[in-house]
Amino acid sequence: MATPGGQGGGALSTRGGARRMKWALELTLGNARGRGDRQSNQGDVMYPIGYSDKPVPDTSIQESDKNLVEKRCWDVALGPLKQIPMNLFIMYMSGNTISIFPIMMVCMMAWRPIQALMSMSATFKLLENSNQQWLQGLVYSVGNLLGSALAIYKCQSMGLLPTHSSDWLAFIEPPVRMEIMGGGMVL
Amino acid sequence: MKPPAKMSKPTSLFVIFFSLFVMSEAVFEDQVGKFDWRQQYVGKTLFAHFDSHSQSSKKLFLATDKNIFASFNSRTGELFWRHVDKAGPEGTIDILLLHGQDALMVVGGGRLLRSWDTNMGGLNWEAVLDTGSFQAACFVAMQDTVKHVAVLKKAAISLHYLTNGHQKWVENLPDSDTVQYQAVYSGGEEEVYVLGVVPNSHLTIIAYSLEDGEIIKQRSVEAPWLSSVESSCVVVGHGVLMCVDTATLALYALPIQSLDLEVSPGFQPVLVSSQPHPARSPISEFFLQLGPDHHVLLQLNADGYTIAPLRDFQPAFLVSFSTTGEKTVAAVMTPKNETVKKKKNVACAINLFSADSGRRLLDTTVIFPLDLNGGKPFKLYVHAFLKKDDSVGYRVLVQTQDHALTFIQQPGRVVWTREEALADVVTMEMVDLPLTGTQAELEGEFGKKADGLFPMVLKRLSSQVILLQAWLAHLWKLFYEARKPHGQVKNEVTIETLSRDEFNLQKMMVMVTASGKLFGIDSKSGSILWKHYLENVQPNAVFKLIVQRTTAHFPHPPQCTLLIKDKDTGLASLHVFNPIFGRKSHIAPPALPRPILQSLLLPVIDQDYAKVLLLVDDQYKVTAFPSTKNVLQQLQEMASSIFFYLIRSDQGNLSGFRLRKDLSTERIWEVVLPTEVQKIVAVNGKRPNEHVHSQGRVMGDRSVLYKYLNPNLLAVVTESTDAHPERAFVGVFLVDGVTGRIIHEAVQRKARGPVHFVHSENWVVYEYWNTKSRRNEFSVLELFEGTELYNSTVFSSLDRPHLPQVLQQTYIFPSPITTMEATLTEKGITSRHLLVGLPSGAILSLPKMFLDPRRPEVVTEHSREENLIPYAPEMPIRTEWFINYNQTVARVKGIYTAPSGLESTCLVVAYGLDIYQTRVYPSKQFDVLKDDYDYVLISSVLFALFFATMISKRLAQVKLLNRAWR
Repeated sequence: MATPGGQGGGALSTRGGARRMKWALELTLGNARGRGDRQSNQGDVMYPIGYSDKPVPDTSIQESDKNLVEKRCWDVALGPLKQIPMNLFIMYMSGNTISIFPIMMVCMMAWRPIQALMSMSATFKLLENSNQQWLQGLVYSVGNLLGSALAIYKCQSMGLLPTHSSDWLAFIEPPVRMEIMGGGMVL
Repeated sequence: MKPPAKMSKPTSLFVIFFSLFVMSEAVFEDQVGKFDWRQQYVGKTLFAHFDSHSQSSKKLFLATDKNIFASFNSRTGELFWRHVDKAGPEGTIDILLLHGQDALMVVGGGRLLRSWDTNMGGLNWEAVLDTGSFQAACFVAMQDTVKHVAVLKKAAISLHYLTNGHQKWVENLPDSDTVQYQAVYSGGEEEVYVLGVVPNSHLTIIAYSLEDGEIIKQRSVEAPWLSSVESSCVVVGHGVLMCVDTATLALYALPIQSLDLEVSPGFQPVLVSSQPHPARSPISEFFLQLGPDHHVLLQLNADGYTIAPLRDFQPAFLVSFSTTGEKTVAAVMTPKNETVKKKKNVACAINLFSADSGRRLLDTTVIFPLDLNGGKPFKLYVHAFLKKDDSVGYRVLVQTQDHALTFIQQPGRVVWTREEALADVVTMEMVDLPLTGTQAELEGEFGKKADGLFPMVLKRLSSQVILLQAWLAHLWKLFYEARKPHGQVKNEVTIETLSRDEFNLQKMMVMVTASGKLFGIDSKSGSILWKHYLENVQPNAVFKLIVQRTTAHFPHPPQCTLLIKDKDTGLASLHVFNPIFGRKSHIAPPALPRPILQSLLLPVIDQDYAKVLLLVDDQYKVTAFPSTKNVLQQLQEMASSIFFYLIRSDQGNLSGFRLRKDLSTERIWEVVLPTEVQKIVAVNGKRPNEHVHSQGRVMGDRSVLYKYLNPNLLAVVTESTDAHPERAFVGVFLVDGVTGRIIHEAVQRKARGPVHFVHSENWVVYEYWNTKSRRNEFSVLELFEGTELYNSTVFSSLDRPHLPQVLQQTYIFPSPITTMEATLTEKGITSRHLLVGLPSGAILSLPKMFLDPRRPEVVTEHSREENLIPYAPEMPIRTEWFINYNQTVARVKGIYTAPSGLESTCLVVAYGLDIYQTRVYPSKQFDVLKDDYDYVLISSVLFALFFATMISKRLAQVKLLNRAWR
């Protein structure tokens, strides 16, 4: 949001004069009360803009970084596969009864891989620095597919899949009657 | 208020039974009378007495042909109490005598003598009489007090004390094999006279001593003209027997005298006399009826030999004597003047005449309109009383031919009317009420589809505007009437205001009674909206009521047809009427010159949306009604697929016919069940308006067991002719009505009827008496096609190579039953219940779930999965299953079920002696909010949440803004 006076950078402060006035432009840094308080111990040394006390780390690309990227990418790719044992455990624990918690778990289990598969392109972007991008992508999608297969298996074992003839029973129309019949005891 | 609804998935036996408990459905206290009503009837009146014990008494005592002794409130027509005796000849009321506070009754053809306390209706005493058919009874008085009652049987006379019923003496009658003793008389002397007759020979008069039963006198009078004392003789005056000779029309007062009177040809003259008090002689005036509407008041002169006519009444329908204090009056009912008759509104006038002079009493005329749709007046019961100014006032009870009782007070006010014909309902139907104008408008919108999009939208808008208008009018009416006191706002249902309600819960009950009177009753309130008496209906006629056109075809009125068949001649007639208004239709029914065997309602409709009725005559020719060209053409096209079956119980013969194009028939199959072995007692197909939603049942392993839903299936029940308990059996044959193929045959050995059964969907439930174990048993047959459907699109009986799988199970039922029916709902989704009428008057709603041949003996995982209750031989009767709580329905004869607009709700009418209407919810009310749904709480919570959201949203906005400023 565009807050008034927000663009003032270091020279602007809304804090100090907020009580008295809406905003104030400080042209002399030394008079600034807020800063003054903080810097009073270090004396009145003024640093140029952009100066940092801490040393800047060396960001030049090295050989070991490449491996790190690779490792990171594999982490991403293997993530879904790593979740499977956990999911299996949850599945085992939740049982096959149809109640709200197992249903929620199954939904989560089914939804996450699907979501992941749908945002494949974002994942590929993550992996694009890797050499084995395609392999990793494949592993990632296989992992997700396995995850969803697991969810489907769970649905099946809970009896939520319409795989039996009884699931289609309600859709069978009553047969059309070919003959008209009536009568009874002789009155 | 109601128990919690559902268990999701029972996992153990305990849970199953717990869920059964939960399923139980009884009426809650605040629901009593909310949607159910009961009407109690007594039947056709045989004897009626007013309670003359005290002047201000409101009691009226009736004994009826339904073996009922009842007391009414004569001011309101409500029952005080009613005693329902055994049905049939065992409980027949032979005579009802009233004296003071005691009502004496001879019951069961002279089997029992009973004395009732008329105040409370309690039984004083009951005495068993000697065998012999009952002839007559009378009170016997001694020194002005009535102490005894004399009962005349065919061969004996007995005298009983009035106080305790003990027999004082019993005497055999002399020559009882030749003399027919028919009357007993006591005039307050020390003697009891018995009158007997040898037809066309002589009259015997025997006088018994009151003390010890000795014969004091015995006299024989030559009377070659006399055939029956009962029908042609009365005692008049001081012990003078007055007889009328039907052949020559002479009045014989012993000794004989002839009078110059003219009798209508073909009419048997009747004498009417009156004995006001048993301790005194009858009055010396009497009526002689000479024709259907001709009466003469005669007086026996003091010398006992001459008769003087007092007054001639012509026309006069009915006459009656009544006594109050020392005055005896005669009430005469005459038709009102002719001009009124022309207006098609016949009225009757009743006048009082002084009995001893024949003078008309002033200010005693009562005029009351005679219902044109009712029968003619049949009997008059008059209750005369002395007013404060010593003039005579009176109330009249008029019994009409249609068994209705009308009670009239003096200025001609009809105080109440009871339609006693409803005590014997033969058959009934429920018809939907017509739509109101606005509803019809809405329905019509969906009917037409030819219009384009824009006109459709316009039409929809216009109909919505009409609806809005109606709603506003309704609101305005509510607002306007809110100021009126509560009693003035009339909420009565009249025939004009009838319209279908939101869920089609209110219907018109069309009831056909044995007396030939038709009734239209509003199912919501039970008020009779129309009645129509069909004259000249034989007492043993057979009725079949058919709804040819429902109210769904708006401009065309609904149409019902009643087939009336005379048992003696076999000839049938059709009465076509509008079931909503009861008016006879202008459509002329076809002439039926030949006896009709059966009728058959086709799903074929003519251009006026009336279903076609086929009538099969004794030459197996078919008459169609309506028989327009269109219909005949349709019939020709469809003839090869129209079949009908006829069952002749006397020949043990079942035969099937097929319609030919020329409306003749050909016999295509015949099954003979030898009548020496077994007799066909009943047959039942499926109800044509029954819908089955689910085509199969889901097994525990989630496969499907498909139901065998043969619409042409008939259940034929037979009983063995051999009644020996070891050899008796009951047979149930499932026969295909088109092909005659016997699908299944279940024979229950050592069983006896009467068999009650229900045939519906794919099951037959029947109940019989097990002669070996001496108990009532229920048996259920279910038919399944197997795990695969043979043909899922069409059903043809001609192409069904495989027989169905039949499962059967039997249960012990702790009570005998009188009738049984299954609930019926709109789409057949709701689970089914059986409605069982018990002799106790309760109606049991038994879940079909308990009658399931798949109930396992050993509980398995799969059976648990299916929610099957483990098999238990005993069927429970839970009192909370009684749908009529304490409103017992005496002698339930039939139960009628009809679907309502709500899938959960089934309308039930139980009829017999009483009529009881209610609703049942076999699967609870899953499609409506409960009665006690807390609208206030829910809506206040909703509103509170809504405002809380609004407020918190505002607050959140302010907070966000503040934070942004920070």
